[in-house]
Amino acid sequence: MKRKLIILLILWICFLLQTTVFSMIDFLAAAPNLMLILTVSIGFMQGRTEGMLTGFLCGLLIDLFYGDVFGFYALLYLLTGYFCGRYSKIYFDDDVKIPLILVTVCDLAFNAAVYILRFLLRGRLNIIGYLRNVILPDLVCTLLFTLLLYRLFYRINHSLVEKEKKGRQSLWIRD
Amino acid sequence: MLSVLSIVCVGLILLTLTSSLVTAPVRNVAGYIVTPFQNGINHVGVWLTGQFSGFNDVKKLTKENEELKKQVSDLTQRNNELVQNQTELARLQELYNLDKKYSEYSKVAAQVISKDPGNWYSTFVVNKGTKDGIAVNMNVIGQGGLIGIVTEVGNGWAQVRSIIDDESNISAMAANTSEPCVVTGSLLGMENGKIDFSGLRDGDNAVTEGTSIVTSNISDRYLTGLLIGYVSEISLDSNNLTKSGTIIPAADFRSLREVLIITDLKQTKENSN
Repeated sequence: MKRKLIILLILWICFLLQTTVFSMIDFLAAAPNLMLILTVSIGFMQGRTEGMLTGFLCGLLIDLFYGDVFGFYALLYLLTGYFCGRYSKIYFDDDVKIPLILVTVCDLAFNAAVYILRFLLRGRLNIIGYLRNVILPDLVCTLLFTLLLYRLFYRINHSLVEKEKKGRQSLWIRD
Repeated sequence: MLSVLSIVCVGLILLTLTSSLVTAPVRNVAGYIVTPFQNGINHVGVWLTGQFSGFNDVKKLTKENEELKKQVSDLTQRNNELVQNQTELARLQELYNLDKKYSEYSKVAAQVISKDPGNWYSTFVVNKGTKDGIAVNMNVIGQGGLIGIVTEVGNGWAQVRSIIDDESNISAMAANTSEPCVVTGSLLGMENGKIDFSGLRDGDNAVTEGTSIVTSNISDRYLTGLLIGYVSEISLDSNNLTKSGTIIPAADFRSLREVLIITDLKQTKENSN
């Protein structure tokens, strides 16, 4: 319970940072997608269900304040969380390489989805231009921040999970 | 252990006391291996040098140095405040000029508090909402021209879609000929600071580079005559009837801090009775 509340708090902070500080810094070519990093991290560390929930909440926040098609981002982030959750049982979560790969794939897929559904359908055909000016800067920035943030998320989550396990043992409940 | 450490210490002292000519090549080589530590080591070296060369008046100098540092930080602080005040003054003065320019409308000043989290859209949120009399479809101006339109409103916030947003379409006209055209926001165009316009009839070639484009009188959401920007490029379409091209927006969207929201809504058939 406590762990979930803390994840919610982190989510909120990420959203605040992403919409204020990072969106307004000029020298960053693009705003890093902190919400995506969080979703991928939680999904990869905790599995499908929590990844999905985190992603859903992230998307919902964006939809609430910025979306004009309600639920669009919620769906995209939800799928992201689910996709990453599939790999939590295959790989160990103490290495930053797999999350980096996952973030790359997810960020590209995410932006491709936004481009195809919101831009291409309106007849904006200059794929190369969008790729160079929007998608790639976004990817580079997000990857950079993944390097910094994944360790942090990992440590926070790890310590909280340990505590949770201890609490369970003392109550004689094993899972 | 102790001897190893002592040797290291003495070695360091010797290296720093002798001129940098000796240490420079060493550092160069070491720099490739221990770059992160280099800075710290250098600090130690400087400290040691200071201990030896100025041992006598070190207390006096330290004290003086501390005082000066305090003074410097104090002055820097004050200078920062002044510089900040000055830029704020310039911004507010600009806003004030705009306020006078469109004085027939009543306006509410608002501050931009956050931006769209992605890189695809150009919407932002301001800190005024329904309790300040803001409603959907109110026009937003600032920085010398039209900024956008309120698309959603809450109690203490309002979401504004800027005119450079890729999904923004504005019914506009050329200021000198009053011929209507459509101004479309463009994500890629804004990389060069430009947005697009199209469908402009201009038989007499009266619209040239630098002509101002303002909001049209037949738009149902935008008030008439708000400055959008200046024509940058113009060319004849393949239908030989209309012209299209690009506009440089009058407002600077890179540094949006304060905006003015016009609380008068455009009169339409629906809201006039």
